[in-house]
Amino acid sequence: MASVPGSRAPLDGVRVVDFTWIVAGPTCTRLLGDLGAEVIRVENEQTLDSIRFGRPHPKGFQPPDSGAMFNWLDRNKRSITVNARHPDGLDLIKRLIRVSDVVVENYSSRILESWGLSFEEQRAENPAIIYVSLSGFGHSGPQRDYSTWGPTAQALSGLTSMSGMLEAPEPAGWGYSYLDHMAGFTAAAAITAALKHRRDTGQGQWIDLSQVETGMVLTGPATLDFTVNGRRYRDTGHPPGNRSVWPQAAPHNTYPTAGDDNWIMITCTSDAEWEAFCEISDHPHWRTDRRFATLPARLRHQDELDEQIGSWTAGQDGRALMQRLQNADVPAGVVQNGVDLVINDPQMNAREWTVTRDHPIIGEHLTDGLQIRFSRTPAHRDRPGPRLGEANQYVFGELLGLSDERIAELQLNGAMG
Amino acid sequence: MGPLDGVSVLDCSDPKGHFAGKLLAGLGAEVIKIEPPQGDVGRSYGPFLNDQPGPERSLYWWYYAAGKQSLALDLHSADGLEIFLQLAAEADVVLETYQPGRDRPFDPTALSDYYPELIVVSLTPFGQTGPWRDHAWSDAVGLALGGPMGSCGYDNIPGTPPIRPTEHHASHIAGYFAVSGICTALYERQQSGLGQHLDISMHECMGFTIESSAPWALYEQHPLIRQAGRHAGPQPTEPWQYPTADGRLINIFGMPRSEASWLALVAFIQERGMGERLSDFELLDGRKRQLGLQQPTVAVMLADIAEFIAAHDAEEIYAGAQAAGAAWSIIRTPDECLADEHWHARGFFVDVEHEERNLTVTVPGAPYILSETPWTHGRRAPLLGEHTAEILCGRLGLNEEELGALVAAGVAR
Repeated sequence: MASVPGSRAPLDGVRVVDFTWIVAGPTCTRLLGDLGAEVIRVENEQTLDSIRFGRPHPKGFQPPDSGAMFNWLDRNKRSITVNARHPDGLDLIKRLIRVSDVVVENYSSRILESWGLSFEEQRAENPAIIYVSLSGFGHSGPQRDYSTWGPTAQALSGLTSMSGMLEAPEPAGWGYSYLDHMAGFTAAAAITAALKHRRDTGQGQWIDLSQVETGMVLTGPATLDFTVNGRRYRDTGHPPGNRSVWPQAAPHNTYPTAGDDNWIMITCTSDAEWEAFCEISDHPHWRTDRRFATLPARLRHQDELDEQIGSWTAGQDGRALMQRLQNADVPAGVVQNGVDLVINDPQMNAREWTVTRDHPIIGEHLTDGLQIRFSRTPAHRDRPGPRLGEANQYVFGELLGLSDERIAELQLNGAMG
Repeated sequence: MGPLDGVSVLDCSDPKGHFAGKLLAGLGAEVIKIEPPQGDVGRSYGPFLNDQPGPERSLYWWYYAAGKQSLALDLHSADGLEIFLQLAAEADVVLETYQPGRDRPFDPTALSDYYPELIVVSLTPFGQTGPWRDHAWSDAVGLALGGPMGSCGYDNIPGTPPIRPTEHHASHIAGYFAVSGICTALYERQQSGLGQHLDISMHECMGFTIESSAPWALYEQHPLIRQAGRHAGPQPTEPWQYPTADGRLINIFGMPRSEASWLALVAFIQERGMGERLSDFELLDGRKRQLGLQQPTVAVMLADIAEFIAAHDAEEIYAGAQAAGAAWSIIRTPDECLADEHWHARGFFVDVEHEERNLTVTVPGAPYILSETPWTHGRRAPLLGEHTAEILCGRLGLNEEELGALVAAGVAR
């Protein structure tokens, strides 16, 4: 499976039974697939992953196999169709678990149980299985039947409230399902750790994740400010827009640049950076201005400081300004969107973050980066998102050893629905 | 016993790697945090115990350094580097965050070549190569350049910039890649017997953490519009955040998909004498309830829901909607999370003893519940140089005089 001839991907030989859908679970299994695991998506024609239908739809829409979001998020995976609620379908899944290493799902907490695939039932098929349940609230506790989407979990974890302007009536929050990604990354970390442990000991286990908990893990200092100092988040000048309450720094903000809705983030995290900034900005007198000479003074006069810097940046070309500030070693970066990352980012381009790949329906398209570059066992990104059921023959015939007649029978009786 | 029990990590990271190191400690690895003798910069990050700054009073440090040991050692001195190389000979993993051209005490590739069994992880803003590899960086600059911030902000307040979510999310995002990479490399090493060098660009990690911005950019070169409290999208969508009677906010994303759940939600609202128009026959069709398409049916539905939310308290709305199968939520602040019994029932919040202060501190706990190899919080964050003598004398066999000389020379503390 590895993309470089003669090399092995680091998770080569690991097989994952992938019941995931939407974004959180598939984020996890995309990473595992990139690392070389054989990821087998178990899909059901009656309840297809809505990401298969999500926009954009390049070159016309031929559901369920041509969605860009699906092909982006579910690359490096295979797809089989099984109806878990059919006795023969459940039997297929159990056989697959016997020859696999990891089971991942991100349904709400009682679904796999209701199929007859609780951890104990999985372990009866394969004592060394690593089972990952990724749900909003986890599989224990009084609210285990509550459900989440990414934005639900972000709100409940505190993260939504921690992004915004103090003077606004509502937080800005996250403009996407951050916790779908983060819960997926969290799951991948736990799985790879569990694989390492299993190779030492032969022992599998159940990994129970709550998406809200994965978010609360990211609020440490704010939570401790309450548990230690008794200070509630909103008592502290939070959320501070693009300023920094902790660590203390000023200037630390976004400033307008030439064009429509273009911004640059400038952060001086030390006096040395502030002095360099004053020099390069042709405003050396800022250094000696009593309002700006020291960090405590700059923090007290942030409104004036930001206003003066904003007047200076307005009308300047953002990328040229970023380079000028970087030449003086001042941390500065333009606010980039996805298109900038793909098209306008010299760093991404130099490291070939995007590459062109082929797809049987979409044709040539761009796919994005490998985040971990291993020197000896490189990850890969060669296999496009799977067409629905494209691996049925491989999995049922080759892996599970079913005859063609039996496969035809299972197709007819609805087990492979 | 954690899954990484027996794994030893030399952690020379600055704040970029603090979260990664914390995760490794929680998984059972022995994490030796090498900090400069004057203390890691993270010790200067607030908030502070009783608002008094000090290297042992940073709550940032308490949280992110928990479970680690502190070896205060100047890697930029010849003696310090020599000691580091001796420790590296016995370690499984080295985690470092030095940018390639910015005063790096050692070359990670050379280190990896020198110790073929060692796993060397370079977690840096832009990676080991490329024109920006040495660019000056901060977490906020990382989020601006990397894409996450571009999707966050206000559509309803003209002229406002994209907004950076607070805390250290560039490090959070990249931290998970570092840990997944380390565990994967350890797993691979069990078979091959060989370590390797991992080059992780935080910028690239963030590029995979922008959700639908990515496919819209990769396939259509179409940027998304940022919108307050909800997903950025190719077109404007309806608001998701609504104020309650008790001055809080409810997020209504997660409207019921099934008819049964929709009817249960309508019953919950109508039992309280509101939401008459929710009985509209058209709304029984799930497509007519779908947010994001600016449908007239949705406008009416949301008007009734907003009115209901404005007349009720947040906890009542949240419990009722969830019981009906709607994934609504309260927008909580971190302090408010501690009041929810569910997380306590799961054992999420843990108490950490700071014995020398006679203080017990409640902190967010495990990101995952591992049935056979449980996550552990470990000991409170180490004092500066708390483990220096133990490591240098106990492991490397230095005598007290030699340690004293290193301390006197400012190499160790």
